[in-house]
Amino acid sequence: MDGNEVRQSIVLKDLSKVFQKDDRTVRALEGFELQVSDGEFVCLLGPSGCGKTTVLRIIAGLEDKSGGEVLVHGREVTSAGPDRGMVFQEFALFPWRTVRKNIEFGLEIKGVPPEKRTEVSARLIDLVGLKGFENAHPGELSGGMKQRVGIARALANDPEVLLMDEPFGSLDAQTRNLLQKELLRIWSATKKTVLFVTHSVDEAVFLADRIVVMTARPGKVREIIDVGLPRPRDRTSAEFIAVRGKVLSELDEEFEKARAKELSPE
Amino acid sequence: MDGFVGWIERLLLQNWRRVALGIVSVLLFIAIWWTYSAYLHAEWPFGGTPSGAAEYVPYPDDVLSAFVDSFVKPDPANGLYMTDNIASSLERILFGFVIAFAVAVPAGLLMGRLWKADAVGKPIVELFRPIPPLAWIPIFLIVFGITWGPIAIVFLGIFFPILINTTFGASNVDPVLVDAAKTLGARRSDVFLKVILPYTIPYLMTGIKVGFGIGWMCIVAAEMLGSVGGGVGYYIFSSSGLGRYEFMYAGMLVIGLLSALTTGLAGLVERRFYRWMGMK
Repeated sequence: MDGNEVRQSIVLKDLSKVFQKDDRTVRALEGFELQVSDGEFVCLLGPSGCGKTTVLRIIAGLEDKSGGEVLVHGREVTSAGPDRGMVFQEFALFPWRTVRKNIEFGLEIKGVPPEKRTEVSARLIDLVGLKGFENAHPGELSGGMKQRVGIARALANDPEVLLMDEPFGSLDAQTRNLLQKELLRIWSATKKTVLFVTHSVDEAVFLADRIVVMTARPGKVREIIDVGLPRPRDRTSAEFIAVRGKVLSELDEEFEKARAKELSPE
Repeated sequence: MDGFVGWIERLLLQNWRRVALGIVSVLLFIAIWWTYSAYLHAEWPFGGTPSGAAEYVPYPDDVLSAFVDSFVKPDPANGLYMTDNIASSLERILFGFVIAFAVAVPAGLLMGRLWKADAVGKPIVELFRPIPPLAWIPIFLIVFGITWGPIAIVFLGIFFPILINTTFGASNVDPVLVDAAKTLGARRSDVFLKVILPYTIPYLMTGIKVGFGIGWMCIVAAEMLGSVGGGVGYYIFSSSGLGRYEFMYAGMLVIGLLSALTTGLAGLVERRFYRWMGMK
């Protein structure tokens, strides 16, 4: 290849994960392969229980893999670290910390001096649109605002990749659409690599450069779909609906398989 | 003490129905007491009293005047005023509390988070927790002596509620908060200090409130072991021994009031903490 070879941000090779539940072994992932380039926005989509969250948690270093290779910017993942920011569906904000203190958590741990911390958090509060709520506690915020804090908190460490685990899954439809737009704005402003887990086809088509459709358990890559639509995307456009239909039909087959598996005795 | 005055004001304004009912409840109790006492003191037409136990149940107003006397007149047994007794008992309670807090909080955090610590600690805790403080008097006298023995008994009373609540709080920490901290770069020690400890504080406060109550319950037993400088517990059983039953009841009343006061103060600190931590 020539000089402008795209740098791989996340590389997963033959990733597998086996859970031990009492006397049962559950094969969650098997031969999962994926490469995400620097600055790319990739959505992981699949039937529930297919292991999409497990993929994310393994990359985050919150879960051990059973086999294969996980590289983030060429380095093997061995434990959780601030180079991989994570945003959780449950927001996972520290209820006793204010918005500002939540965002500064990672900087505090790094030992960044207070003035510098305030500088970074002020910039991020501005970026995620939470001006005026610096000193509010999470309990006083709506779900959408909480997740803005979650995103800002993950960005505060200036991570190489942003791992998002159904971050808008518990929000109402309007808030969800708004935050999707906001996320794209933040993504283009920060140029982070984003790996985004969702079970919403619409969300995936709206957000992603590429959509990874996973198979039912044991999860592996069934199909990778290039969305290839210019942003901002119009949900009502014929092109959008066409991509949506394609993803949906892939997913439907996997749903059927998952259901058949559930019904048949092992 | 603006916060305290404000708190009282709010209590009276917002909860006047509660306060009124509380007053009615106490008055009703006094009325029942007075009736029972009057019954015991009554003379049958043919002479004698119903049970001969009248001296054990003095009238409420006798207890009230004994209560006042205990503050203004020295105890004939040792020349101490009630304020001296309160000071001595408070000192024991506070020493017991400080030591219990210092041991129970780290132990509870460890037992709540590490299964090995729990496996080691739990059998000992469950074995020793139900033993009444009174039972320890002989061995504590030998091991700790008359100054530290009473403190050790109070310590036992306060220690277990704090330990058990702290353990429960630490084991209940939402795992997603720990995950979040880890992805933000937190090391084990950071997770302990910045996630598990703050999460546990409300549980810890409950333990402290309960602990103070049980600490006061132990004070009579504690001061049976040693009562250098007097003590309210000592005052109760020495008054009882001298047949000064109205003074014994006055001492019991003092313990009730002191316990309510310390629990109330702990509650005030708790509310402060909650507001500071953004939890209501």
